[in-house]
Amino acid sequence: MSVADRSFSRRGIFKTLGVMTGGITLGRWLESSAVAAQEPVQTKAMETFTGPSANPHWNSVGPYVAEPQKVPLILLTDRPVQLETPRHYFRTAFTPNEAFYVRWHLEGIPNAVDLKDWKLQIEGNVTNPLALSLPELMQKFKPVSLAAVNQCSGNSRSRLQPRVPGGQWGNGAMGNAMWTGVRLRELLDVAGVKSGSLQVQFQGLETGQGPKGFGSNLFLKSLDLANPVLDECIVAYLTNGEPLPMLNGFPVRLVVPGYFATYWTKSLTWIRVLNSPDENFWMKTAYRIPDTPRGNTNPEDMKAGKVKTVPIERLPVRSFFIWPDGTSKIPVGMNIRLQGIAFSGFGRVNRVEVSEDGGKTWLPAELGEDHGPYSFRTWGMSWTAKSQGRHTLAVRATDEKGSVQPYEPVWNAGGYLWNMIERQEIVVGKAS
Amino acid sequence: MKKRVLAIFVVMCGMMVVAVVFADLKKGYYRPAELGSLRQTAPIELSPDSNYQVSAYPVLGADLVPGDGRQEVQTYCNTCHSPIYVTMQPPLPAATWEAEVNKMNKAYGAAIPEDITQKIIRYLQAHYAVENRTP
Repeated sequence: MSVADRSFSRRGIFKTLGVMTGGITLGRWLESSAVAAQEPVQTKAMETFTGPSANPHWNSVGPYVAEPQKVPLILLTDRPVQLETPRHYFRTAFTPNEAFYVRWHLEGIPNAVDLKDWKLQIEGNVTNPLALSLPELMQKFKPVSLAAVNQCSGNSRSRLQPRVPGGQWGNGAMGNAMWTGVRLRELLDVAGVKSGSLQVQFQGLETGQGPKGFGSNLFLKSLDLANPVLDECIVAYLTNGEPLPMLNGFPVRLVVPGYFATYWTKSLTWIRVLNSPDENFWMKTAYRIPDTPRGNTNPEDMKAGKVKTVPIERLPVRSFFIWPDGTSKIPVGMNIRLQGIAFSGFGRVNRVEVSEDGGKTWLPAELGEDHGPYSFRTWGMSWTAKSQGRHTLAVRATDEKGSVQPYEPVWNAGGYLWNMIERQEIVVGKAS
Repeated sequence: MKKRVLAIFVVMCGMMVVAVVFADLKKGYYRPAELGSLRQTAPIELSPDSNYQVSAYPVLGADLVPGDGRQEVQTYCNTCHSPIYVTMQPPLPAATWEAEVNKMNKAYGAAIPEDITQKIIRYLQAHYAVENRTP
């Protein structure tokens, strides 16, 4: 039966009903209401861009796209590839590999890596340069595992007011995985870092069409040798116990626990010890934040050249509602389970709270299993909507350093470090 | 007579309640849609050698607004990135578009000839700025 037939026969029922009630007028009234209700809820595609106001959605607004080794993810850009993880994949502490977000800078992304040729090179200011095959990495060094959140520096960029150019991420440019690999420090020790060395530079297989010496040619990131985070870094060949998807950096990627993803070089192939500071574009110009509290500034000070910048580093504390997500109505009086995740790059999250009154008072949520200081931590709270209408809930996390999410937004030209308290509107319907 | 009218009224009210219940319990509505708006990708052939590969990454393209300068955006910008980098942006102030294009030349070494650079800036300002961006 076609849609038209169906509504026609329905109309017939109401016509009969109308005759039965003895009034043609009433029949007409019922008929017209039935016709008006032909499409219960009008279907509407998501808008294709947001702005100049803030993106009101949890994720970015792009279409779904099927990329190799991935479930359909939200497309930001196709070449180079940038994909965002849809919200519901964050119901668990570990993000599935096939749903893990993707962010490349240059269009020359590997499609194939031949492991008979591939070697991890440790070179530069070292006494004993190394070229290690994958079997050597796996067998000659002790494997270590660590749960850590990888979050793009520009995650939630589409929230900023005024809007800034760049990848217009919603909240899904993040993921948590159990990374397994070898300690960077062990590799550096075997290679023998020469005295007078300053930084260690990371280069992956990614290349661009731009001229040599420009950021459009190579993506290079460096960390200071004196930075204690180097002792926690892992050169990972497994993510959640599986080889890395090509788009997430097969065969190995750098894991820098607590740090933004810009340092987590994908398809890592060159580890280079430097005796002078790295002044390439991706260190000196890009991925820098104002040297101010929370990295906050404003367009006027920026334009006036008043803002000194420093390289971005650790992830400020954040928490999210994952469910309810506002796509369905909740019947009043139903005891539901609010669920979400929280993390901080400064130490483990030890408190998550929910507010029903716009952030005036806070109720403690229950924390899920502790997978270590750099992991997502799930949270949950049983909650009953006591009245019908629109409720806005807020969530905030506190980490073990005492940092708590702020009420105020952040603004900087790069669109980095967004971590204000998240809110979720819930529509509560009558239950009878 | 009065009793009869009342009886009819009661029956009518009852029917109306039933009708309203039925009207709100909606079933069986479908709408036409396009099959394959997102097709699955077939698994690629794997061989047990040392080469680990995936299929080509799909290029979806972007609908750039028709206008003077569109061709130049497609030709020059596309060297390093697809034009979806333009359509993804929120409506931006004209000065920001100018700064973005200049950044491609200065910071990224794009070396787009000056007249074409200006044409690209004008195109982006004419179609993707706060005042004129259309869905």
